[in-house]
Amino acid sequence: MLSWLFSWVLCLPLLAQDIAISGRVTSSDDGVGLPGVSIQVKGTTRGTTTDANGTYKFNAPGGATLVFSYIGYASQEIAVGNRNTINVTLSPGTQSLDEIVVTAQGIERDKRSLGYSTQEVSGALVSQRSEPNLLNALQGKLAGVQITGSSGAPGASTNINIRGITSFNGSNQPLIVVDGIIFSNDVNNTNNTLFGTQPSNRLADINPENIESLNVLKGPAAAALYGSRASAGAIIITTKSGRNQNNKTEVTISSSYNVQNVYGLPRFQNDYGQGANNLFNPTSTNSWGPAFSSISSVTNTQGQVVPYQAYPNNIRDFFQQGVLLQNTANIAGGDATRNFIVSLGNTSQKGITPNTRFVRTNVQIGGETKLANGLKVTGTATFAQTIQRGIPGGNGGSAFGQLTRIPRSYNLPNEPYQDPITGRSIYFSPSINNPNWSLYNETLNSQVDRFFGNFTVGYDVTKWLNVMYRATGDAYVDRRKFIESLGAARAPQGQVIQDNFFRSELNGDLIISAKTDKLFLEGLTANLLLGNNINQRKFQNATVNGESLTIPNYFNVNNASVFTNSGESSELRRLVGYYGQLSLGYNNYLFLELTGRADQSSTLPQANNLYFYPSASVSFVPTDAFKLQSDILSYAKIRASIARVGRDADPYLLNSVYTKATFGNNVASITFPLSVGGNSIPGFGISSRIGNSNLTPEFVTSAEVGLNIGLFNNRIGIDAAYFDSRSTNQIFNVAVSPSSGYDTRTTNVGELRNRGFELVLSATPVRGRGFKWDLALNMTVIRNNVASIIEGVTQSPISGNAFVGINPSIAVGYPYGVVIGTANARVQSTNPTGAYYDATGQYAGQFVVNGTTGAFAAGIAGTVIANIQPKYTAGLTNTFSYKGVNLSVLVDVKQGGQLYSFGSVDQRQVGALYMTGIDRDQPRILPGVIATQNADGTFTYKPNNIQIPAQTYWAGLGGLASEGAVYDATAYRLREVSLSYTLPKGLLTKSPFGTISVGLSGRNLFFYAPGFFGDPEINTQGAGNIQGLDLNGAPNTRNYGVNVRLTL
Amino acid sequence: MIQYVKKTYYLVPLLLGISGCNQFLDVNVTPNNPTAVTPGVLLPTVEAGTAFANANELNRFGSVLVQQLAGAANTPAATDIYNTTGSDFGNQWRFELYGGALINAQKVIELGDANSGKAYSGIGKILKAYAFSMATDVWGDVPYSQALQGEAYPQPRLDKQEDIYKGNASLGIQSLFDLVRDGLKDLDATSPLKPGNDDLAYKGDLTKWKQAGNTLLLKLANTISVKEPELAKSVINEVLTRNVYIKTNADDLNMPFGASVGSRDPRYEYTVVSSFKDDIILSTRYLTLLQGLNDPRLPKFFTKPAANYVTVDNGFRGTLPQPVANWSRYNTYVTGANGEGPVRLLTNFQRAFILAESALTLGTPGDPQTLYTEGIRASMTAAGLSTLEIDAYLTANPKVATLSGTTQEKLAQIITQKYIAFTGNGIELWNDYRRTGYPVLQNSQNAAGINGTRPVRAVYVTQEQERNPNFPKPGPQTNVPVWWDAN
Repeated sequence: MLSWLFSWVLCLPLLAQDIAISGRVTSSDDGVGLPGVSIQVKGTTRGTTTDANGTYKFNAPGGATLVFSYIGYASQEIAVGNRNTINVTLSPGTQSLDEIVVTAQGIERDKRSLGYSTQEVSGALVSQRSEPNLLNALQGKLAGVQITGSSGAPGASTNINIRGITSFNGSNQPLIVVDGIIFSNDVNNTNNTLFGTQPSNRLADINPENIESLNVLKGPAAAALYGSRASAGAIIITTKSGRNQNNKTEVTISSSYNVQNVYGLPRFQNDYGQGANNLFNPTSTNSWGPAFSSISSVTNTQGQVVPYQAYPNNIRDFFQQGVLLQNTANIAGGDATRNFIVSLGNTSQKGITPNTRFVRTNVQIGGETKLANGLKVTGTATFAQTIQRGIPGGNGGSAFGQLTRIPRSYNLPNEPYQDPITGRSIYFSPSINNPNWSLYNETLNSQVDRFFGNFTVGYDVTKWLNVMYRATGDAYVDRRKFIESLGAARAPQGQVIQDNFFRSELNGDLIISAKTDKLFLEGLTANLLLGNNINQRKFQNATVNGESLTIPNYFNVNNASVFTNSGESSELRRLVGYYGQLSLGYNNYLFLELTGRADQSSTLPQANNLYFYPSASVSFVPTDAFKLQSDILSYAKIRASIARVGRDADPYLLNSVYTKATFGNNVASITFPLSVGGNSIPGFGISSRIGNSNLTPEFVTSAEVGLNIGLFNNRIGIDAAYFDSRSTNQIFNVAVSPSSGYDTRTTNVGELRNRGFELVLSATPVRGRGFKWDLALNMTVIRNNVASIIEGVTQSPISGNAFVGINPSIAVGYPYGVVIGTANARVQSTNPTGAYYDATGQYAGQFVVNGTTGAFAAGIAGTVIANIQPKYTAGLTNTFSYKGVNLSVLVDVKQGGQLYSFGSVDQRQVGALYMTGIDRDQPRILPGVIATQNADGTFTYKPNNIQIPAQTYWAGLGGLASEGAVYDATAYRLREVSLSYTLPKGLLTKSPFGTISVGLSGRNLFFYAPGFFGDPEINTQGAGNIQGLDLNGAPNTRNYGVNVRLTL
Repeated sequence: MIQYVKKTYYLVPLLLGISGCNQFLDVNVTPNNPTAVTPGVLLPTVEAGTAFANANELNRFGSVLVQQLAGAANTPAATDIYNTTGSDFGNQWRFELYGGALINAQKVIELGDANSGKAYSGIGKILKAYAFSMATDVWGDVPYSQALQGEAYPQPRLDKQEDIYKGNASLGIQSLFDLVRDGLKDLDATSPLKPGNDDLAYKGDLTKWKQAGNTLLLKLANTISVKEPELAKSVINEVLTRNVYIKTNADDLNMPFGASVGSRDPRYEYTVVSSFKDDIILSTRYLTLLQGLNDPRLPKFFTKPAANYVTVDNGFRGTLPQPVANWSRYNTYVTGANGEGPVRLLTNFQRAFILAESALTLGTPGDPQTLYTEGIRASMTAAGLSTLEIDAYLTANPKVATLSGTTQEKLAQIITQKYIAFTGNGIELWNDYRRTGYPVLQNSQNAAGINGTRPVRAVYVTQEQERNPNFPKPGPQTNVPVWWDAN
């Protein structure tokens, strides 16, 4: 049927007559011509841009409407009529409320017609930001979006969630689409994530300098056409092209040089050294030894007599200054219909610890053309190579795991760390590795070679019918090597892991779109789109894990003798989707959009694998409808949408399987096959997860209302949204009692609710005489709540690696991702039959203290002890421009939310933190009350008055697996400052340069975190559903540097 | 027109997905894991898993509590002052017992029955009973009759330890004794499918499994002998009458491990290799006991890297001896030369000491003195001493060699020798200590715990308490004896 349609439409003659149009676009401010104004035939992709003087010339169909848009100015729509000359004056508006935006499936839409929330970011806002990872460069700039870096280690992954968490178990990262290519942003882990090595999220393969614009589709309504995978929202990235070059070929070169320094280390005490109970002990990791004033020298474990003194910078000097060098060159040319771009980019980063690097190289070619027969052909191809070298580990016996346990009197930077003969670690304690040694001897290297591209063929069958086919592909291999030298704490006999990942995704989309400007009556426009998507995703991870090395410093698996942990794992999943969208507009002030999509997925049981989900959205512009525009109110739009998005399962969840057996952990472990008495004995066991052959898809249903207001000729713009989404029928590996023989069973359970409010406020408080002050504020409040799991289950851990007793979990009545652990016992006044009841309520909420020891009473396991979700987040960007000078300052705040920190507990317990040195010789009293049980079972309370030594006190506040490890993660931050100067054009007229701009930029320049000793933006387990844990990972950095951009 | 027709073909492959949808989507069979196996690939998991559960952290726990080892750091240091929490043995409960040895023993039984492999079912039942006895001996009342059934009982009820040992028909609980008897019956049945090298312990020798099963009956009876002497006596008599039990060291149910990384006995790992190796050290009190008895097994059991044994007293909280390289740790009798073990689950010396004890206290057949001597000799032989050395020792140390005094004094002698013989099996040591009170131990220094008392049970693990509403909250503390601990 479709092929018949295709041949039929080809036979139709072309009807439209083009006419030549020219003109000039000027600014209402000063009447100067505006260069680079986009002029587009409305509803098409045809268009051009103005030249340096603001003039333009191109052919447009008679009767067309032209849209003139320019960043920072209000767009205008002008009907061509029969004119050949159209001059336009654009007025500055802080926000172009009628911008054309790229929405789902690459459809360009007039923003006013959208009944849902999107937020665009121009490429300029993410380029030259002293930051190689695009997601980090977006921090603080988007409402409804939470972006959290994991550390300052080069290439460390960054987590992003849009409008909260919508799935118990599935990925909650938004779908990333780059030039129509579904782009993998996965994080592949070689180690258990508790080990703290931080491989990149794969969006790091994108060069931020290459981004033209980025649009965030926040709710399911916005992203419904992408189907299942956009239920967590979508980020649509458009890379630079030659479209706006106006037939001029131009070379753009941008370079930047930045330095990075460790930032956010806590303050340490420098009065007491190595040891415990005021006695020196050369092997102790504690700083509870004698005061420095009391003895002058000690004998270390090497038998040397050394001065006993503080080394105040022994941790700071473990770090070096990192360097980030970025260079990008583009050659672009052409016009709106025929253009090309070639781009080369290189990013090279030397990390803040020796032996760490991040190097990214991008080569992109792209272009579009229209063939003589009318076919429009577009394509891009990008090769990206990303290398991470020397990624250090965290936690336990790693560099960063030990860094928090260094006595104040140990001269870490200047002590030898490696035995020159054996290659083994030298340290004050023989059973621990020296952190400097770990940097070279316990590392992960990764090299990603990635290729992605698209190819689109489109044809305007008639004026009103277009057929388009888009094929996209994205594939990469990540070749890794992880080494543990002989003597490493985690693998005393050495280990080499050769770990290779392959991931690929192919998509084919057939999109047929039809439109009319007059459906039944004048002023009623309609667009109909029908599409088909075929999707295939492949994944393979092949690991050769060689253990028990023979020759030191020879890191090849052929140096190993045990390979039992090697293996291969593959995934293949496919999906076929059918989608449609009907958009109706009435007189450009009332819009209705209906979408529907049906997906058929390979990962669900055949009986349940086809599922349909619809969306509807309305947008209404009363200022146009009722002619309400005034000097005060320039624009108002109200919008509402409701949407449902279905989501399939991960592959292979339907069956219970058998897995190769292993027992144990880091105390002792065995892995089959066992090598016993010369035989290799295989052993398997039933997997800990019970499969489910009756799974059904999970759904997110979301409703949203929003308001856009422009005031004072759009000098103030307000975009507000309220949303309420419910995720139901969640596919989850729900915890079962371990004594059932299993750990989890896969089933459809529960409900997760997100309600939130987003506000984007933009304003231009001052403008005139070449000076302009813009501000943009965004604010997000999200309340996330696990409404139910399944009968009889009130809490269940999130899939992933966790320490015993510190479980990131879902718990009924709490937000997603709370940490369940051991809470301190508290007096309560609510449950008369419960422990530590106080009828008077006088002591309610106080900690219960053991009346004999003065320590906290035994804690209560299985309690929610940390909620990682912030109360609100906000970002404020102030931009000042005067002539060619532009200064932009971004401050952001994350209010509330908690962090579970091993690092701080360590440094408190070992007596390294500054506060542990204050009045150390004085006894202390833990906060709380002593409970005495009476004969009738009730309790009598009195304030704790038991004095304990400082060392006992600071340790008594709580160890690693306790509530004492939970801190408030509130942080106020000067996130970004950038200053640029664009040379006046007049200076360049005789030079080969078109434009030259130079700048300074800085990131994370200052922060204030009242509830934590260091920087709370740390996330040792990297991007993923488990967040908010600092398990002794790399710290954050402060970056700043210079940049230059020039065009030829 | 012809060229247009040609062009229509371009669309055809793009739409193939729609017509061939079902085939195209039929790709959800995992290539990564088997969905069906034979019992032979599960049996090694059950055998090694049972041994691993016995020898890993539960051994550190038991051996520190009975003061063969002292805890120097981390969990063992907490154990040594009688502190233990629900997070200490989560892995043992979840992954070594219920989710490890036990669930796979259950699968071996099911797959043995389904694949004409009754021999597998029989071994599976014996090991299942053994692993369940560890669980109930450590934690008291535990899920048993409803356990290991996955979705049928995602939250199994607790069975009383009394019902687990004795059975309870009205609740549908089969006793551990009957479970072993069922296993022995299976071993007698025809079994075309038989184990060979996949049987780590006996290489498919079913006679030895029958001996082990009967010896397990002796162990179970011995465990409850204080609480239920009559039942214990009848089981022991039943075994003696059947006369198929472990009678030589070669019959021992010893689980061997290997010398290479990932194949080694956990006691080797945490004594010699892992970053937690300095958690434990030989207890000063055990050294004093062995030296006081002139016991020739001391150098076989513990190392002496320096001129003297380097030990720490239980509960000691001062500066530890340096360097750690000189610490006295488990020697090759326990760990094997390079991690080979074995883990001794049921032994000839154990059988002899059990029969000596029951002859003494229950009046079962046999002479306590003969059986006692048999036990000492079996243990010393296993430790690598020659007959001449053993004879010389017994001759030179008549106070050890000869049972004397009251029944209690004789019992103390038997259990003390069993205590020495079972070095490296903390669960057995702790069971005997709780049951008999021997050998007499003084409290650790700095004893904390519940009012300074040595734990007589482990507290329920956190995950089970969180996930299973059938568990009491709070559960019994460490000072509440288990059912069979009646003295």
